[in-house]
Amino acid sequence: MDATYLLQLLLNGLVIGVIYALIAMGLSLIFGLLGIVNFAHGEFYMLGAMLSFFAVTDLHFGYWTTILAVTLVAGAAGLLFYHLFLASLRPADFERSILLTLGISMVLQNGGIFLWTVTPRIVPTPYSYTAVHLGELQLPLLRLFTLGIATAAFLALYVLLNRTLVGKAMRGLSQSRDAAAMVGIDHRRMAQLAVMIGIALSGLAGATLAPVYSVQPTMGSAFVFKAFAIIIIGGLGNITGAAIAAIMLGILESLIGGFFPLTLADSAGFIAMILVLLFKPEGLFGRGVRV
Amino acid sequence: MKRMLIAALAAGMLAATAAAQPAPIHIGSTLPLTGNLAFFGQHSRWGTELAVAEANAAGGVLGRKVVVDYQDNQCNPAVGVSSVTRMLSDKTEVALLDGVCSSVILAIMPVVQRAGVPLVVANGSATAIADASGVGGNKWTFKVNPSDASLVEALVGWLQQNGNADGIGFLGEDTDYGRAGVQAFEHALNKRGLKLASVDYYQQGTADFTTVLTKVQRAKPKSLALYSVGADFQNLIRQYFGMGLTIPLTGRLLTDQIPPEILASGRLNGATAVQPYTAEIDLPANHAFVAAFQKMHGAPPNLLSYEAYETTRVLLDAIKRSGTADPAAIRDALVKTKLRSILGAEIEFDDHNLAHNNAVIVMVKDGKVQVVGLSKT
Repeated sequence: MDATYLLQLLLNGLVIGVIYALIAMGLSLIFGLLGIVNFAHGEFYMLGAMLSFFAVTDLHFGYWTTILAVTLVAGAAGLLFYHLFLASLRPADFERSILLTLGISMVLQNGGIFLWTVTPRIVPTPYSYTAVHLGELQLPLLRLFTLGIATAAFLALYVLLNRTLVGKAMRGLSQSRDAAAMVGIDHRRMAQLAVMIGIALSGLAGATLAPVYSVQPTMGSAFVFKAFAIIIIGGLGNITGAAIAAIMLGILESLIGGFFPLTLADSAGFIAMILVLLFKPEGLFGRGVRV
Repeated sequence: MKRMLIAALAAGMLAATAAAQPAPIHIGSTLPLTGNLAFFGQHSRWGTELAVAEANAAGGVLGRKVVVDYQDNQCNPAVGVSSVTRMLSDKTEVALLDGVCSSVILAIMPVVQRAGVPLVVANGSATAIADASGVGGNKWTFKVNPSDASLVEALVGWLQQNGNADGIGFLGEDTDYGRAGVQAFEHALNKRGLKLASVDYYQQGTADFTTVLTKVQRAKPKSLALYSVGADFQNLIRQYFGMGLTIPLTGRLLTDQIPPEILASGRLNGATAVQPYTAEIDLPANHAFVAAFQKMHGAPPNLLSYEAYETTRVLLDAIKRSGTADPAAIRDALVKTKLRSILGAEIEFDDHNLAHNNAVIVMVKDGKVQVVGLSKT
């Protein structure tokens, strides 16, 4: 066996997994706190990427400024999204939440097609065609940045949920809404914060990946279904579980694609999800807001 | 009573006005208007819209306005069959324009045959479409754009002349389009005692190509033939150069879809491709088409828009010559088509209802796409 080839596939898989994790973490957080599967998550990722395109091409923002600005705008959009659509949902409204977020997803996607057409757009950066060489292995610089940004986002979320009072409140709320209310935790404020962070993470993913992939209004669906599979495999609401499942899936896909026809790789995530649902329905790492 | 009389009179006048205006001619069009190939569907639609607008501005066809009913097929054969069945059940469409995706066209061919309505293919390039049409096959399907076999034959001939036909690897989408590309290359190379160095497919809608590109890099082909379209192509080409790959590219390389910074950087210099069309063709009829398209849609045409424009012209010409806008009469008129293409060749159908227009060989030199030859397919 060619060791360099195997290592290159593992490295590729790690980066693909980290990209999945960046999208899945926000989805997992929102489910953990609100019990809502946000089907519009992919569209916020798309909006983040589209906003990056306009920030770079029309406002001439730099790479890092764009990422910061888009993440902040996405957080604000999350606040609006919560108050307009999610605040009125009760825990028993699970089906309603699915229909609502699916509807929002369709409106955003088709609204995007109406406004910007489906012409793929390219976000130019000075780093687009630069690769880092590690011996015989190579990694495009933008993917290395993605690896760093996703790791930083995970660590920030870890600190927030595990080392702060707000995080403690969030975790408490995900375990029991009634008990949390009895000790004075404001459910609405925590839910609002979770949606803001979740949507900010999808905006961050969009801004980070816009220079890597082509940008167009239907791009959200490419990742969001995989993100659903990932949060089910990792355990709904379990952020560490989602991150580990994402990396496992990225590596698995890369190895399958490297040694077998690539078309088999895409089914790997969904086969894993079916197996988990059959044999460990609570996910590999259990449910609840955990880090 | 007076009011009722006035209302009845007004209704009668309206009915009389409606009766005085001839009913429009309806044409159906099934396209991917959503999904990963929506960009291509959009350009195909724009090409048809220009041809129809020109015909209507000139007084319509047979003195009647032409109306096109565009239906989304998502590049999915099942959705295509369902949308075409629905369109044909109304019995108002006198003919259909194709569905961009070869897989959809192959799926709807039996439907149009049963309904007895002509299908004129603009964009789908799978060789199997023409193979199954005309003599001994589906007499209702006509294909205006060249098939993959004829395009690739022209390309491989060109590459061989320049000593570049050996060691070609193939990377394409896992659809009838991509598979037809492999067959066309294998056929053209086998004739010359050569074979493909590697064959890899990816699924439509793939965002990340690092795995398959790593695989290609390992196979070390001397050149790489791409069969990729839409957003997939954009992703693929960016990631190809992002990974630092330098294998010369060939195949159905969509030169009008390459990001300008890649072209300008010179990374693509030496790439040779075959296309049914490129906007750079220096012919007066093409200049007029590019200008009219740009004016109507605010963007330059690509090969999809060109193919749809030419195909719609062919269909409208056949409707005009049929004299009746009856589907069977249109089919008979299509068989006898003789129409000058904006690329100079005369569009005529062979026994398999396949037209043989010019193919364009393009090469990237000094960071620019240059037409190096027109070759009859």
